[in-house]
Amino acid sequence: MTFSARCLILACGNALREDDGIGPFLAQWAEQRWRDDARVRVLCDHQWTPEMVEDVAQAESVIFVDCATDCEPGQVRTMAVEPATDATKLGTHHLDAGQLLASSKELYGETPHSSLLLTIGAGSLEMREGFSEAVRAALPKAQRLLEESVRRLLG
Amino acid sequence: MTQTITIDPVTRLEGHGKITIHLNAQGEVEDAQFHVTQVRGFEKFSEGRPFYEMPSLTARVCGICPVSHLLASAKACEAIMSVRIPHTAAQLRRMLNLAQMVQSHALSFFHLSSPDLLLGMESDPAQRHIFGVAAARPELGRAGIALRRFGQHIIELLGTKRIHTGWVVPGGVTEPLSSAKRDEILAMIPEAYVNLGLALEAYKQIADQFQQEILVFANFPSNYLGLINEDESIEFTDGALRLIGPSGNVIEDGITAQQFTEKFGEAVEPYSYTKFVYYKPLGYPEGSYRVGPLARLNIVKTTGTPKADKELAEFKQFAGGPVESSFFYHHARLVEVMHGIEKIEQILADPKILDKHVRATAGVNRLEGAGQIEAPRGTLNHYYKVDDNGKILWANLVVATGHNNKAMNRGVLQAAKCYVKEGKFTEGALNRVEAVIRTFDPCLSCSTHAFGQMPLQMTLMSADGEVVDTLTR
Repeated sequence: MTFSARCLILACGNALREDDGIGPFLAQWAEQRWRDDARVRVLCDHQWTPEMVEDVAQAESVIFVDCATDCEPGQVRTMAVEPATDATKLGTHHLDAGQLLASSKELYGETPHSSLLLTIGAGSLEMREGFSEAVRAALPKAQRLLEESVRRLLG
Repeated sequence: MTQTITIDPVTRLEGHGKITIHLNAQGEVEDAQFHVTQVRGFEKFSEGRPFYEMPSLTARVCGICPVSHLLASAKACEAIMSVRIPHTAAQLRRMLNLAQMVQSHALSFFHLSSPDLLLGMESDPAQRHIFGVAAARPELGRAGIALRRFGQHIIELLGTKRIHTGWVVPGGVTEPLSSAKRDEILAMIPEAYVNLGLALEAYKQIADQFQQEILVFANFPSNYLGLINEDESIEFTDGALRLIGPSGNVIEDGITAQQFTEKFGEAVEPYSYTKFVYYKPLGYPEGSYRVGPLARLNIVKTTGTPKADKELAEFKQFAGGPVESSFFYHHARLVEVMHGIEKIEQILADPKILDKHVRATAGVNRLEGAGQIEAPRGTLNHYYKVDDNGKILWANLVVATGHNNKAMNRGVLQAAKCYVKEGKFTEGALNRVEAVIRTFDPCLSCSTHAFGQMPLQMTLMSADGEVVDTLTR
């Protein structure tokens, strides 16, 4: 099976845990936004799992999308991601962006030439649907940053 | 003075568990227990829900084998509806169940157990994980990822999503299979055989290095339970249960889902949230048994597919009767994956597989119903009672980890007695005690359905290891 894409948007999160649903929300938006553009591929799941390594390895560039708990609620950030070097926190059911890149390099000998992580600070992770006020207010900025990032990565 | 060694958490399992090893004054292992420390409660909160919601509700028990709960639940609902589902729907469900078995066994073998098998029980724990395997044997790492993906992609093609698909419903499935999807699955099959071949080759090369583990990894005579067809071939989705004894003698055959509650009981022990299932005529614990890949291969005469039958013949040579060591669960999984790939290929060749009639409909025609299937880890039974309007009055889920619970505990004790000496242990020794549990590949999320008061025991110990107080409720 081949899953190559110029730009892979790889989101994760749980739409039933309030702001953790930002990944699925942006993935759904991206699917609509680039519906007719074969260069962009969107994947989303509750968590990033080892079998996604193959998708990452086959992509020219990747944008990871997730919520963050280490910043202010509603804060939108993009940052470059490097392959992880610390193996002590490896899980078998879920990985973070750096671990996916490291595994891509280990297993397939290659990584995307550009890798970005886009996050929005979570205000609440309660068991309900919808977003906190801070995250709801930040959605347009997140969509704009995602749009700009994809455009830049596609050249 | 007695001492207690605790392994908490037990790693590379589906869920969270704990092992306690009790030493006597001489520092020898006296007892050992495997605790399942999480609690869920699906049976309770499903009360009052319409019965037709049960497949989707109970599928949320687990993210690894939701298909198992979907299917067992749908079958229990169909017993309430008194309907027989269309042939094509039955075949599509069978394929879905096999796809899940393939992906789950791939996860167990490659991701959870291959670090022990390929890198060694004594290898550096910082490297003893799937990425350590990837570094040492990248071709196997890629094969593991691809084989898991093969199963998951079939589930996604059939049910539109990999986890918690809503495609299986009481009465059949919501959508027929398209020719494009059939062709896509067929195209993936050659690569799946290649990847499985790599795993089988690697396993057979290293299995001989684990003679000591084979001897003490839950290696004892026991009973075995699993679904089987009338022609004595392996079955995962239909058929009836067969229970065999330690010498391979058939204790009881043809046990239907409806008869399950009458034949099997659930014992409770104070150290675990998971129940201990046993065959009532033999009592507890004598009526305990093992389920899952090892049990399934022990109870059948054939897999019903040629490549897997060749592997089965080799497997059965390990013993004159049932293969007893749980170490061979690993091998049995690979044999079952071979069968799964072959059977999926056969199902896709069924001339009626693209038939559009895939769902039967009916209301409440019975006030109780049960369904049973083989989950990757073993037999799964759902049993519901409903009122006249179809609202759930009572539900019980009997899962593979409950069936295997007694054997897992005996296995932990057997391994601990071998590897923990004079109150001393090495990291490799403790890893082996954990590895016994991993052979069963238990799903602890599924297994925690104790009814009544939860068995909970808290032990307060002083700094020198003396038990000061015990609280039991």
